[in-house]
Amino acid sequence: MAIAAESIDRRPRLVRADGPEKVTGTALYTADLRMTGMLAAKFLFAEVAHARITRLDVSGARLVPGVFAVLTAADLPDVRYSAGVADRTLFARDVVRFEGEVVAAVAAVTDEAARRAIDAIIVDYEPLAIVDDPEAARADDAPLVHPHWADYESDPSLVRHGNVAAFSSIARGDVDAGMAQADVVVAGRYVADGSHAAPIEPRAVVARWEGEKVTIWTSSQVPFAARDGVCETLRLPTNRVRVIVPHLGGGFGGKCGFHFEPHVAALARAARRPVKLVFTRREEFIAPDRRRESMIIEITTGVNNDGTIVARRGHVILDNGAYIADAAFFPQLAAMHVAGPYVIPNIEISAELVYTNHQPSGSVRAPTAPQTTWARESHTDEVAAAVGLDPVEFRLLNAVDTAKIGPTGQTYDEIGLIECIRRAADSAGWGRPLPDDEAIGVAIGWWPSFPVASGAYVKLDSDGAGQIITGAQECGTGAVMTLRRLAADELGMQPDDFQIVGQDTAVAPYDVGATGSQTLFNNGRAVVAAAGQVAEQLRNLAADRLEASAADIVLDSGVAHVAGTPDRNVSIIELAAIAARGELLIGHGSGQPPATPEISGTTCVGDQGMAAWVAPQFSCHAVRVKLDRDTGVVRVLEVDAVHDSGTIINHLGAVGQVEGGVMMGVGQALSEGTVYGDGRQRNAALLEYKLQTAADSPTVRTQFVEIATEGAGPRGAKGLAEAPNVATAGAVANAIARLTGERLRRLPMTPERVWEVMG
Amino acid sequence: MTRTFDLEVNGVAYPLTIDPGRSLLSVLRGEIGLTGTKEGCDDCECGACMVLIDGQPVNSCSLLAAQAEGRSVTTIEGIIDGDRLSEIQAGLLDEGGVQCGFCTPGMIISATALFARNPDPTPDEIRVGLSGNLCRCTGYGRIIEALAVDGVGRADRPAESGS
Repeated sequence: MAIAAESIDRRPRLVRADGPEKVTGTALYTADLRMTGMLAAKFLFAEVAHARITRLDVSGARLVPGVFAVLTAADLPDVRYSAGVADRTLFARDVVRFEGEVVAAVAAVTDEAARRAIDAIIVDYEPLAIVDDPEAARADDAPLVHPHWADYESDPSLVRHGNVAAFSSIARGDVDAGMAQADVVVAGRYVADGSHAAPIEPRAVVARWEGEKVTIWTSSQVPFAARDGVCETLRLPTNRVRVIVPHLGGGFGGKCGFHFEPHVAALARAARRPVKLVFTRREEFIAPDRRRESMIIEITTGVNNDGTIVARRGHVILDNGAYIADAAFFPQLAAMHVAGPYVIPNIEISAELVYTNHQPSGSVRAPTAPQTTWARESHTDEVAAAVGLDPVEFRLLNAVDTAKIGPTGQTYDEIGLIECIRRAADSAGWGRPLPDDEAIGVAIGWWPSFPVASGAYVKLDSDGAGQIITGAQECGTGAVMTLRRLAADELGMQPDDFQIVGQDTAVAPYDVGATGSQTLFNNGRAVVAAAGQVAEQLRNLAADRLEASAADIVLDSGVAHVAGTPDRNVSIIELAAIAARGELLIGHGSGQPPATPEISGTTCVGDQGMAAWVAPQFSCHAVRVKLDRDTGVVRVLEVDAVHDSGTIINHLGAVGQVEGGVMMGVGQALSEGTVYGDGRQRNAALLEYKLQTAADSPTVRTQFVEIATEGAGPRGAKGLAEAPNVATAGAVANAIARLTGERLRRLPMTPERVWEVMG
Repeated sequence: MTRTFDLEVNGVAYPLTIDPGRSLLSVLRGEIGLTGTKEGCDDCECGACMVLIDGQPVNSCSLLAAQAEGRSVTTIEGIIDGDRLSEIQAGLLDEGGVQCGFCTPGMIISATALFARNPDPTPDEIRVGLSGNLCRCTGYGRIIEALAVDGVGRADRPAESGS
């Protein structure tokens, strides 16, 4: 059952709390920090895709004037790490497995001295066979990226073999019988190139030791994970490592996990000086273990002549790259997207995450979703055409809806996907005549909300001014706005009455960070709980003062009053002053994350908990494009993006998330794709790897279907940051196919590729 | 070998003695300490390092600091008028044109130059005018919206408002 959505929309819009410093240039990002005695760090990267190190001589680097520290694997504890499979070390040991692997690091008085020191390092390689093709890498006789894979510590739930780092499947019903019974069977194979998060801020890390404690300032989306990574690899307790994130210049998943914080901390310890690392753009392209993986997606669907989907079989090969990073759950997530938000009684979908000598893949905004959704929604239009149905009608017929059972046996509470489809089609003018060489394409998408632990403190000081001390991480997403609104509403105050203190692991309680669209969903719950404790304190104080029962005290508009008699009141400022002389106004909150719903009839091999989703989000994007038939250039003119992300707490910020996600989707659709040669990236620069510009930007019309889902986040809010980056590329593909006639089954759909299918 | 000269930035003449090979971007950030100008690529592709030189928008990574000698450099720190935000700054803030903020200084520099030569640009002129500034957060929609809104009625306001 759904609860009524509380419309928060009509209230005055929230202006970014951190906006004034950002528009004036006074906001400090990690690369802007400078400290007395600070040194510059540089890394020596492998620059080859796969090789054995036969000689590594750093003695020359130590002789370069101004060099304070030179580190290799020999200088650090021999720790293998990574979530799922411990397949990685901070510095290469004996073998390098991708071009961006760190071989050595130096710290020197200037960038120039550090560069000279790097140049003075001698490293010789014996080339090893480059594993470049994830499909071929699965063969029994393929060269192994990790010959000792079986000896690595790993999560026992993972199914692994050779170059297959993780295998997962989802099965329900009887696919063979379903296919046999179907009137029409349609099959397709779709290939997506890898792509990048490409935040505009290249990452930076500063580390400074005081005695046995280290403080690290870093451009991380996940400060607690960064801290834990430092602790694990340098063998330090968590209370000796403090991670602070200054302003963060975008992440999109690319700055999840921990990356280079331990290297810089180790350099700073060895140099006995603060050390700063700032990546070049090329380094930002090649070195992080967060890249959107390339994929090969095969889908076969059995459908009846009336348009009802009967069965789906699918297989996905994901290019994991050289190390697993956080991708262990990607196969099952990819399988969920191949199934999609459709009622399909019989499914059997498997996916393999395959080691190659490419940059490691990892969470990038809605990991696995844009590629799989592009493939599945392309396929959906092909299936609809095979039975002569209109694409919108076909989706309305088969999409999951309230009380229906999804492909993995999850029964949905009230959800708004059907409404999303209807509104997107209406707003786009689906079916209307269009000028020559223009067409509209439609695609739908889904994405889970991730329930995890989170914490916050809320306090009011003696003047009644509030602070929210939170583990949440702001990376442009909107925590600075929504958390203040939630706290203010609990306390009958205004968002402007609160400042946010956070992005500091020594100050705030744990939070997983800006990942999984989870901040409002989980930290919002924590802030509401913490503010609720302060509200109770205020009600008790007011009850004493007003000689009433605490249960009758209402907090509203900056005052506490007795219910029904607003004149019997005392201001919150006055109560704060009273509290300052006695028991202080401090609340702490965490709250229990919602439980994962039960599913029925589904069996999973290599289960990673992705077959059932808490508070799933839904979307439909309708995209109008124009094709230049002489060049194959596609321009996206308009996008209608309609989302069910539950209650919207901050409308302006939510629109910004959708527009940004759509634009990233347009880039994935048309221009963003990594080109490999000899296992190395051939377009690791912004000239060759094309992001969309303002000149490319379409008009985006955003709508929200606000259904407050029970068991979701605060007030029925779901996540939102990733969902807008799911459906766009599929909608663009379907529009292009209507213009070209032939279906282009490669992503990105560059002018050359579009031109080729036009024949 | 070093070179000694004065560099005028935001109306202040900074005496410099620097390696003549250093870019304007590197000197603004490293020597003068104006870190509002951001480095996103050092390759003239992202626009985060944009400044005005004699009123013209330029990627400060693309020229040597010494080439700016005798010219007037304006960075994001010089855009604010006393304690008042410019209309462009206030507009971006109010309309949700700022998310992570890393591209914002360069974006504001480009927009400032655009409005100086064309006070009433159409949305498409705004799109072209900002096409040298990459933004990964906003999809540009709120930025274009903010600048396309008739700026006449938008009063300047104190820099601290909204915090």
